Amino acid sequence: MDMLTFNADNGYLEAVVRGLKASLLRRNDYTNLAQCENLEDVRTILNSTDYAPWLQNEPAPLQTQALFDCLTERLVHDYRSVRSQAYAPLSTFLDYITYPYMIDNLVLLLMGVLRNRDLGEVLDKCHPLGLFEGMATLAVVTSPEELYREILVDTPLAPYFAECVSVHDLTEMNVEIIRNLLYKAYLADFYHLCVKRIGGTTGAVMASLISFEADRRVINITLNSLDTALRKDERVALFPRLPGGLDDEVVYRLGRADDLQAVALAMDLSGTYRALFQQAAEREDHSLEDQFLEHEMKLLREAFDVQFHYGVFYAYFRMREQEIRNLTWIGECITQKQYAHASRVVPIL
Amino acid sequence: MSQRHVLPVVPSRMTLTQIKARLQGARRGHALLKKKSDALTVRFRALLREIVDRKFRAADLLRNASFRFAAVKYVVGEELKHVVLEGVDHAETRLRVRFENVAGVPLPSYRCVTVATDASTAFESRENGAAEALNPSRSRVVGATSIVQYRGLGRGGQQIISCRDAYQEALSALVELASLQTCFMVLDEAIKITNRRVNALENVLIPRLENTIAYIVSELDEQEREEFFRLKLVQNRKKRELARSQATELRARERRAAQALNAFDLNSFHEALGAETAAAESLLEQTTGHDPDLLNI
Amino acid sequence: MTETSIRPPDGSGDRLIAIIGDEDTVTGFLLTGIGDRSTPEPTFFVVRRDTTDDAIAEAFERFTSRREDLGMILITQNAANRIRGNIEAYEGRVPAVIEIPSKDQVYDPRQDTLMQRVQRLLGIRDR
Repeated sequence: MDMLTFNADNGYLEAVVRGLKASLLRRNDYTNLAQCENLEDVRTILNSTDYAPWLQNEPAPLQTQALFDCLTERLVHDYRSVRSQAYAPLSTFLDYITYPYMIDNLVLLLMGVLRNRDLGEVLDKCHPLGLFEGMATLAVVTSPEELYREILVDTPLAPYFAECVSVHDLTEMNVEIIRNLLYKAYLADFYHLCVKRIGGTTGAVMASLISFEADRRVINITLNSLDTALRKDERVALFPRLPGGLDDEVVYRLGRADDLQAVALAMDLSGTYRALFQQAAEREDHSLEDQFLEHEMKLLREAFDVQFHYGVFYAYFRMREQEIRNLTWIGECITQKQYAHASRVVPIL
Repeated sequence: MSQRHVLPVVPSRMTLTQIKARLQGARRGHALLKKKSDALTVRFRALLREIVDRKFRAADLLRNASFRFAAVKYVVGEELKHVVLEGVDHAETRLRVRFENVAGVPLPSYRCVTVATDASTAFESRENGAAEALNPSRSRVVGATSIVQYRGLGRGGQQIISCRDAYQEALSALVELASLQTCFMVLDEAIKITNRRVNALENVLIPRLENTIAYIVSELDEQEREEFFRLKLVQNRKKRELARSQATELRARERRAAQALNAFDLNSFHEALGAETAAAESLLEQTTGHDPDLLNI
Repeated sequence: MTETSIRPPDGSGDRLIAIIGDEDTVTGFLLTGIGDRSTPEPTFFVVRRDTTDDAIAEAFERFTSRREDLGMILITQNAANRIRGNIEAYEGRVPAVIEIPSKDQVYDPRQDTLMQRVQRLLGIRDR
């Protein structure tokens, strides 16, 4: 099916991404990095990878923030070079990858508007991958209604807003709730794009990846809302539900869970996550988030085992993000002289 | 002691009493101030040690908090920073300042309080109407701040809470430190002023009063001596006059006696007197030639 | 909108906490709810890579002399070292200026203006 035509449009880019994936840092790289005494040592090690050109202009001594900026710049560069050579529907698929950044940026802008902040300043803090049209005219926006009318309606996120957030909610609702509602709508839309519109191998691979993302959010929202003022029906409303995700029974129980114990009981019903949950409880220096990341990396690696699908693009950029996280973590540990913790990263390969 | 260490007073018994009262007052004041200074210094010394301890404790707590923040960044990403920085609205954690009195010096003490602002209470009550009624103390719990509300719901919420708690702990330590530090400055100044006063009393006022007293006493002694001398002088003069008047009286009496004697019969007196002298002469002649013990005159 | 609490003239009552420091430290402290933006000038100042010493000094002066609702200023040692002169020149008691360790440096009491004073006094008075 895909095999016949895939390479005509996407063969080159898939090869590029697979090549880029090979340049990701590996377990032994992390071991070496964790031995560093300062960030200049880190730079020395990174100079032997293809990060070298990105770091060479940074003045010594290197700072964590600078390191992070360089790594992000690299990610953005990779994304843009791939995106600029993509044909539809890969181009659409790639656009979807950036929507989470866009959601973050929009939430940030919304907060800025609500706090009457200078949006020009806020704009500087937006993630470069989440930029969208109309950002230049932001300066004229003074209220959430205007933000919606002038900016949001023209963004790809507009349907999500229409689905779950009214203009009135923009001022009344907690921005974090809005963020999660948008993310829920985004996941559903992304799932629909991959499974229904693109389909094929891409659909199969991405279904499991997006479902995992959705499940992770369900569990996280449950855990993080346990001791908050969030009502249970509001909690359930934030759960992204996708076919192939958590069982209805599990979700129902999670929606009603009052404490950690109830969450653990619900997790017992789910094969995949029970193991993650138990490991998180057993391993002292590993949180559930770490377990999720480990699991996610496993899924992403598996995506590379299959050919002729778009999942590799998604997987590569998620892996890059994880690498940025890992390197920033190591950088933070080294600058804070918490050397013992520097090796506590979730390796990608 | 030169003249300028003496107060310009008129030396008199009254001023002496006054100055003596002042000296007594100054001595009492000095003793009290000295006590105050000692009390403050004791407190100050304890304070210094506490500041050093607290500072290092706060540094440790903060180190932990920074590390927790790195953990948050690992899970949530850099984006959280922007959201938090933009999300700032009204301070919900504030300092409550109280003043405590140590030996007459007001020392401020700070306490961290969480003030529920309108925005957060409105939100809480809307979101949490039933729970709020059941648990009214909830909004007063330190750290129930709206800035972290639902933050990281999708990912990293627990890390954010544990990071917030770590910073909260560090902040409490720093607030305590702020109290101590302000006390340190206030006490430092109070001790300096008190010591300055003690020294002023000890080295200037009390010696000056003492000198003044000595001066007045010596002046008074001088006056007394003058008085005495004057008395003596008058007395002597009186005595001399008395003596002179007595002498004249005596002479007058003698004169009067002589006049009385002259009126006596001098001749008969002479006859009787002559017989007596002849008898005495013959007695003297008898013994002259025979007695070897008698010297020949 | 709530008003900032009205303080009685003796200086007691509620005051705000200001912070000057790197982005992470500032954000961390803001999580505790100390931040305030009810006046045009927020109670926090982020020192970034391109922030000049003058800008830090300006923020410090603003917090110490031009605002009256602050009770305490936290400043990271990195930032404090860059405006050491201003900190040494500051003689006021309220707001109290407290140096806190920077996240990427181990705390060094020898650089802390207050700690220098304290340790000098301890040294002298201990003998």
